[in-house]
Amino acid sequence: MSALWVRLRSWWRAVTGRRRLETEMEEEIRFHLEARAADLMLEGSDPRDAMRKARLEFGGVASHKDAMRSSLGLRWWDELWGDLQYGARILRKSPGFTSIAVVSLALAIGANTSIFSLANQLLYARLGVPHPEQLRLLTVIGDEHSAVHSSWGSRDSIPGGGARFDSFTYPIYQQLRRENRVLGEIFAFKDTIQANATIDGSAQAVQLELVSGNLYEQMGVRPALGRAILPSDDQAPGTGAVATISEGLWERAFGKAPDAVGKVITVNMTPVTVIGVNPRAFTGARSVQNSPDIFMPLSMIPLVKGELGQSGPLLSNSKLWWVQLMAREKPGVPLEQSRAALNVALSAAINATMTVAKDDTMPRLELEDGSRGLNFNGRQFAQPVHILLAVVGFVLLLACANIANLMLARSSARQREMGVRLALGAGRGRILRQVLTESLMLAAIGGSVGLLLGFLGRTALPKLLLNSWEREGMHVPFDWRVFSFTAGVTLVTGVLFGIAPAWSATRAEIGTAIKDGGKASTKQRKGWSGRTMVAFQVALSTLLVAGAGLFLRTLINLNAIDVGFRADGLVLFDLNPPSKQYPAPKDVALHARIEQALRAVPGVEGITLTDIPLLANSQSESDFNVEGAPETKEPHGEGSGAMETTVGQDFLSVMGIPIVAGRVFTQQDAEAPQRLSIVNQALVRKYFPNQNPIGRRFSMDDSKTKGRSWLEIIGVSADTRYSNLQQEPPPLHFDLYRQSKDIGGVTYIVRTRMKPDAIVPSLRAVVQGIDRDLPLMDVRTQRQQIDATMLQERVFASLTAAFGILALALACVGIYGIMAHAVSQRTNEIGIRLALGARRGQVRGMVLKEAGWLTAVGVVVGVAVALWLGQLVKSMLYGLQPSDPASLVGAAVLLIGVALLAGWVPAMRASRVEPMEALRHE
Amino acid sequence: MAKQVDLMQGTLEMLILKAVSLGRLHGYGVLLRIQQISGEQLVIQQGSLYPALYRLEHEGAIKSAWGESENGRRAKYYALTAAGRNQLSAETERWNQMAGIIKTILRLTSADLAEAQS
Repeated sequence: MSALWVRLRSWWRAVTGRRRLETEMEEEIRFHLEARAADLMLEGSDPRDAMRKARLEFGGVASHKDAMRSSLGLRWWDELWGDLQYGARILRKSPGFTSIAVVSLALAIGANTSIFSLANQLLYARLGVPHPEQLRLLTVIGDEHSAVHSSWGSRDSIPGGGARFDSFTYPIYQQLRRENRVLGEIFAFKDTIQANATIDGSAQAVQLELVSGNLYEQMGVRPALGRAILPSDDQAPGTGAVATISEGLWERAFGKAPDAVGKVITVNMTPVTVIGVNPRAFTGARSVQNSPDIFMPLSMIPLVKGELGQSGPLLSNSKLWWVQLMAREKPGVPLEQSRAALNVALSAAINATMTVAKDDTMPRLELEDGSRGLNFNGRQFAQPVHILLAVVGFVLLLACANIANLMLARSSARQREMGVRLALGAGRGRILRQVLTESLMLAAIGGSVGLLLGFLGRTALPKLLLNSWEREGMHVPFDWRVFSFTAGVTLVTGVLFGIAPAWSATRAEIGTAIKDGGKASTKQRKGWSGRTMVAFQVALSTLLVAGAGLFLRTLINLNAIDVGFRADGLVLFDLNPPSKQYPAPKDVALHARIEQALRAVPGVEGITLTDIPLLANSQSESDFNVEGAPETKEPHGEGSGAMETTVGQDFLSVMGIPIVAGRVFTQQDAEAPQRLSIVNQALVRKYFPNQNPIGRRFSMDDSKTKGRSWLEIIGVSADTRYSNLQQEPPPLHFDLYRQSKDIGGVTYIVRTRMKPDAIVPSLRAVVQGIDRDLPLMDVRTQRQQIDATMLQERVFASLTAAFGILALALACVGIYGIMAHAVSQRTNEIGIRLALGARRGQVRGMVLKEAGWLTAVGVVVGVAVALWLGQLVKSMLYGLQPSDPASLVGAAVLLIGVALLAGWVPAMRASRVEPMEALRHE
Repeated sequence: MAKQVDLMQGTLEMLILKAVSLGRLHGYGVLLRIQQISGEQLVIQQGSLYPALYRLEHEGAIKSAWGESENGRRAKYYALTAAGRNQLSAETERWNQMAGIIKTILRLTSADLAEAQS
């Protein structure tokens, strides 16, 4: 070990002090020669002869010096340095080749690194707690008749009927926790509640997560500062006014001041003491990507959320399923056994806490993987991210094919050079090493540019997934493993395809290579691998271009949709009055007051509000029972009722939705005892076919409800798109908010000719004049709101279009490279043809035909694969089929056009060959 | 003058170590000393001395420093290190062992062989 160290040190000294070493060697040898010459003279030699004799005895100075350098381990270093310089010269000499290779490497590495990092973060990253793999998320699967009637949480329909819920009632949670013997202690949380917080006098919108007292302890999280929330904080409802805050909020609101702990902030008007700051890695139990701002004990939920509907306080409510549960696996207890035991406990808890109706069925408990929290993103983005992964995977393949192609073409062009070097005595290993050095240099340049692109993509990509008005998205850590993988793949490709031809070249007879023997004969067999590579590239490009076509046309189709209202000149913002301070009906009165005040703001041409903004991916559906008509049998099925929106009186005129029959709301309607409604044409078609709906009444309650509330239809509006662009206008009725009992948080809509930035300050001033602690949230225009619903389509269209163009460019380069190479190899064959009377047009045609053939094969394969893979993206398309002729034919035509263009230059060069010159060349 | 012999392969480094172990020397001095102690019987290719010196220094068996020669010239002097001393004694032992074995083998006669078999 120490011997190695000594050598390394000596080597390092030699490398770094190279100049000194050389002079010392020189001096040492000179001393030897002169000392020897002096001795020879003493022995009686002629002074003039002595030096010559000394030199003769010494031997070749240069070769001994070389041996001395070699003794210091400098030889391989010098050779490497030489290789590097030679490689750099070669790369500089063909800038076209170098830049194409570097760019394709860089783009492939960059694109793959950023997309894979994103995918890793979205789909596979785990919560920042110790042993996240032990965490289990408790969920409930119920059929259509399950005992879960009302829930506040996520509800996913299961194909084949039924639904998956991620929440429980609080009494069931408490009983499960007591009965549980099979898992670690069950802990509970309620994900992201929007709230208004006042910190140091400034109001801001924050996200809350409410947690059970044992959550920190069970998850194994220790706060970075202060203390965690403890079981003693989570006692009687309404007690435990303490909070831990995220590192993000600590930085944003407190500037990372250590005295933040102990400060009192208000959350929805309730004073709360900050007791701790979470470590950066801890993002709560909900998701891995971003953390809620404030964590409070579940016992505080009555103060921040109040009641939901008319069902009583949340913590004692036995009907509403809302609280989310997790637990750690117990070592040694099989999952199956835990699930069976907890299922029994769940049924017992349901029977003990709820009144179960006769035809209700027991829901089934599942223990899902909880290592990613509730994992909304994982489930929402799984399909699009996998498609993107496939696309960048294709790009990587394409880049590898391109590199391989370029390397093949180049090394066959360099056969002669290698032949010469072999003939001059270079070893085969030495030549291979030279080629390897060059490949590695290319890979290193491409890799570093790719690394840069990957870094940029890492910051740019999450922004693409963000709505334009949102503050901060998720943080995507740069994934070194992904980078090394992609860099490794491209490296290996480059090295393999650089070395393989060099290997066969060095095996060839030296004479053959120098004479360039094979030139006159046809190159059919030798060019085979290059040709396959080009056909492969064309096929991949066709696939990517066709995919880009599908997504672009989807985006165009979506943009061409008539939404049914005037989307320009509308500014939207949300107001969320806390229900503790504004319990119903105070919230309705507050909104009426704000609406009135905003109407007077200069620049406001119209003002209204709604609980469900249009085209914001939100919807509210309820039963629709027409008075005097038979009641619908299945009250709970989806699509059996009508969509509803609770709005201000001017909603239709502000939005620019035409009224086709009857009248709009008036100022007097708000005070009228009879509740009024305007329905759209789709609703008339469904519930009043060939009838006049005006004056008819309907109810959203079913017949069993006592004191059913009836609404009278006073007008019919034109159809509009409702929750998203893709969905046809559903049956929809607009109800007046001032006639409803409660409304809570709403979206205000302002029609103005002013820029949002110009008008929002005066709007904010008016709102704060009414309630200082009420922040304007999510200020955006209606256009931005609509764009947000097309986010995924837009991201897809832009990314696939970018990759499609990249693919086209790579294919173009590939075809050009292989054809130019073929033409230069066949110069004398072409010369002979011309000399024998072939016309130049024929020669041109010959070359173009070859390019055309390669392309045709590639295009046919590409289209076939596109047709097959298209089925996988069917659900992401709008207004067209995966077999969309425009996209497929378009891609094919584009590819053939590009191929002929790329083949044109070599074809022209071939037709300009001078027969005499070509033959003399031999 | 006795008959000169060419140096056996692989022995140059051992000889250098031995020469230097008797006191620090410059390159030419190493040459002179080896010739002197061998009674001018060994022929050393002068130039090949230096790669061997450099290799030994690289391996840490000797160390070098610039100094003044007997006639007032700047010269590079080599001296044995502790590691070099160990190496020299190890190689000396190995050489003696090897020489002993070879000597025994070469001295062997058919009479000895018959004696050994009986």
